[in-house]
Amino acid sequence: MKRNTSYAVLCLFFSFLFGCTAKMVVTPQMTLIENKDFHLTGKVIYDGNLEYLPRTITDDSSPDSILIFQYTYNVAYGRDNIPQLLPLYNPLSIVGFPIGEDTLAVVGKLDILKRKEVIKSYSSTCGLEKMRSLFSEGESFSELRKKGLIAVRDNIELQMYEDRNSLSQLN
Amino acid sequence: MTKFITKLLTISLLLAGMLVLSSCAGLGPVYQKVEMVPDNVGLVYIYRPSSFVGGGVSYDVKVGEIPITTLYNGGYYPYFSKTGEVEFWAKTESKSSVTLDIKAGQTYYIKGTVGVGFIVGRPHLMVISSEVGEKEIIECKLIPEEKK
Repeated sequence: MKRNTSYAVLCLFFSFLFGCTAKMVVTPQMTLIENKDFHLTGKVIYDGNLEYLPRTITDDSSPDSILIFQYTYNVAYGRDNIPQLLPLYNPLSIVGFPIGEDTLAVVGKLDILKRKEVIKSYSSTCGLEKMRSLFSEGESFSELRKKGLIAVRDNIELQMYEDRNSLSQLN
Repeated sequence: MTKFITKLLTISLLLAGMLVLSSCAGLGPVYQKVEMVPDNVGLVYIYRPSSFVGGGVSYDVKVGEIPITTLYNGGYYPYFSKTGEVEFWAKTESKSSVTLDIKAGQTYYIKGTVGVGFIVGRPHLMVISSEVGEKEIIECKLIPEEKK
């Protein structure tokens, strides 16, 4: 009974220590605003998933559009630095010690162009790190990527919202 | 006690060796670069460098619900993928997945490994840069179509 309790305590200890949810850092740091009632219209140049496009820009492909928005993102994957053999012979693996690590960085960039000239740029970076243990694999790379792309999108929206007074004069 | 541990280690090493050897059987020729990529598709190399850990474990790599190859230890498979956002995944006792933004004519590398699991080794898929992927895939052998 006592041995079982010690085992459970150890498992809990390592689970809390290393956690199973991903650590996420987004830069630049912005204050969260729930209701971002602001958007600009113009021609959008972007061929990816619309879910990752900042919602502060709306596509207007008419020839009269003054503004052009060019959105790009890049996803970089880190390498797992924990040797594959280590967890196999590490007795602590059975109590939740990490057996692997996943890292990922997402960079998003929005260029606002007027008469083919970049007049304003916004960029955001999101770093994600997650430990894997025998008890929890946590989020997959696909889920981390999505989380990062959405965090970057939200961050650029917030940056634009902060500049809303100057940006609204561009249209 | 020491005798018992030595015996146990010997048996597990022998078993692992047998599994590694059996999993390698039937793989095709060593890596050859795909020269021609058809129009409007991207090329994804899915590979698994030979490793002692989980050497006997193989798993299906799928896009949606369609298995595109069974990834064996030391094997690789060139997959022509549709463009856009494509998710590749594999599962044994846990699931691993990666998503790529496939562009026509571009080449991508997905590396599969096997990690420690409770009952069976767990798949782990990673997106690898071209510089690293090109080097790591060199010693891998083609997974034939009939082994899919």
